[in-house]
Amino acid sequence: MDTNKVILGIYEDPDHIYDATKKLVHDGYRVRDVYSPFAIHGIDRVMGIKRSRLTVAAFIFAMTGITLALTLQSYVSFFDWQINIGGKPFLHIPTYIPITFELSILCTAFGMVACFFYVNRLVWGKNADIIDIRVTDDLFVVAVDVIPNKTNIAELSELLKSKGAIEIREKEFED
Amino acid sequence: MSYESPIRDVLITGGKTYSDITKEITRPIENKPSKAWWIGFGLSSIVLAIWLFATTYTVVVGIGAWGLNKTVGWAFDITNFVFWVGIGHAGTLISAVLLLFRQKWRMSINRSAEAMTIFAVICAASFIVSHMGRPWVAYWPIPLPNAFGSLWVNFNSPLVWDVFAISTYFSVSLVFWYVGLIPDIATVRDRAVTKARKFWYGFFAMGWNGSTRVWHRYEVISLILAAISTPLVLSVHSIVSMDFATSLVPGWHTTIFPPYFVAGAIFSGFGMVLTLLIVAREVLNYKDYITTEHLDAMCRVVMLTGTLVGLAYITEFFVAAYSGVEYEQYAFINRATGPYWWSYWIMMGCNLLAPQVFWSRWARTTPWFIFIMSIIVNIGMWFERFVIIVTSLHRDFLPSSWTMYAPTIVEFAILIGSFGLFFFFFFLFMKFLPSINMAELKSIVKTKHDLELEKHYTELLNNNHKMPNITHETKGDSVHGH
Repeated sequence: MDTNKVILGIYEDPDHIYDATKKLVHDGYRVRDVYSPFAIHGIDRVMGIKRSRLTVAAFIFAMTGITLALTLQSYVSFFDWQINIGGKPFLHIPTYIPITFELSILCTAFGMVACFFYVNRLVWGKNADIIDIRVTDDLFVVAVDVIPNKTNIAELSELLKSKGAIEIREKEFED
Repeated sequence: MSYESPIRDVLITGGKTYSDITKEITRPIENKPSKAWWIGFGLSSIVLAIWLFATTYTVVVGIGAWGLNKTVGWAFDITNFVFWVGIGHAGTLISAVLLLFRQKWRMSINRSAEAMTIFAVICAASFIVSHMGRPWVAYWPIPLPNAFGSLWVNFNSPLVWDVFAISTYFSVSLVFWYVGLIPDIATVRDRAVTKARKFWYGFFAMGWNGSTRVWHRYEVISLILAAISTPLVLSVHSIVSMDFATSLVPGWHTTIFPPYFVAGAIFSGFGMVLTLLIVAREVLNYKDYITTEHLDAMCRVVMLTGTLVGLAYITEFFVAAYSGVEYEQYAFINRATGPYWWSYWIMMGCNLLAPQVFWSRWARTTPWFIFIMSIIVNIGMWFERFVIIVTSLHRDFLPSSWTMYAPTIVEFAILIGSFGLFFFFFFLFMKFLPSINMAELKSIVKTKHDLELEKHYTELLNNNHKMPNITHETKGDSVHGH
């Protein structure tokens, strides 16, 4: 980032902030982020956020779970110590399916959620760098980067206001 | 201008704004608990104490404290276990399956239903541990090398599958629930005025800031978690049913068990959700959030699954008759007419017949009536497991082993006490966590902008004499501007 300064446009309505963001992106402003109390559908696409690769992570974790489970079960009941229980086969893949299934789900859920925490830098006890305390209640905030010698703040504020911003202010990030 | 005709009425009533939702749902957290809460919490603590005492007594004295004998080796313990696991299933069904089906009415109830899942599975697990008789070796079903005291486990056994299924189910439900809670915990954190609240909710909110990038990933993982929880919930009760179905005992040895158990689990779970929510909407005054329409939708599920379960009861009879196997036929005739006939008919009455009242709209929308019905469903489903377990076991292959089973007071105390365990956690949950998913709910509330547009279009429609029928058909309340 070549700038720490942003202009915040604060809105009361998700439709307004959606329109504002669309217009901002269209006019070539750099939208740093939009903060909202709930997911506004479609705004991620307008902002040009690429589809998350967490789905790929989920698939990899599922495969890991399957491999682990099959390895564990065949190692225990065939390679390490065969126990004859009613003459049943020692290596019997069909009866391994339930545990394999469960462990793949377990690995997917925990692995994917851990990745989710990691990519979003969500950590227990972390202080929230919250942009405005009301974004977890009822307000929507769009943060637009102010690029020195390029961004016309007056024009930007006018644009934000025309889309229904109830408040406009500047903020500097301490990086 | 697009035009939507409403299939059902608005999901939440009272014309709530975003901040109304925040204020009303965080109210129990931010204020001193009400008298009703204290009474409920106090009562469940007392019952929990009974559970603690009876369980401790069992551990100290041994399984001899129960009424089990050589023939009936499973009775109240496993009945209660299956009962509680079944209760848990509705939570996952509501939050995962209904999410995949885009059923938005789930949003008012999924949080508390998921909480119910977690607490119910804790209750279920407690029965597994206590029925072992020696809880200090409860780690034996975990695959540990032979040198650790037991042998390696037998992976052909459904009992071992069950250990994996239940523990996966518990931990995945917990993760799903917690991920869903993070945005709401952040809301509580940002409204907190006391130091302790700021610290604890801040700790668990993990620095959530409402960024769109985070929301985007959040939506992705919610969907995947729902997608993996759906087969998980079906697998869990299927595996529980295989604890019985893979045995040779007539009455257990049937292939219909997995779907029949899953339907029963959803049935009993919805029964419990209804019991809890009817109380919660009264005590916390959430009638605008959990409307009679929500109750109606849940009653339909209860009726459907109750009928499915009833169909399974009848199918079992048919298959026994059709198979020509004498033992199988005797097992079922003995169920309905033998010494435990009363438990069979309680089961039939409560599970198949009673839910049929929900064909009537009045029955589906009258809270006090649904409350009574939900209790009946819970009783019926408890008896279903009792019937399956005890009546199948008490007539052994050798008539000389035929016997009866009667529970002791200790077993009754543990059963009743487990409700204390469940409600103890549930009351704590209602006090310390937002019991309705605020973030999701806000996404379905109509905004000021929506309402203005709606008003505008309704006026236009009303003034336009060419299309009077349309306003009539749509009740004039669901015209969307986009």
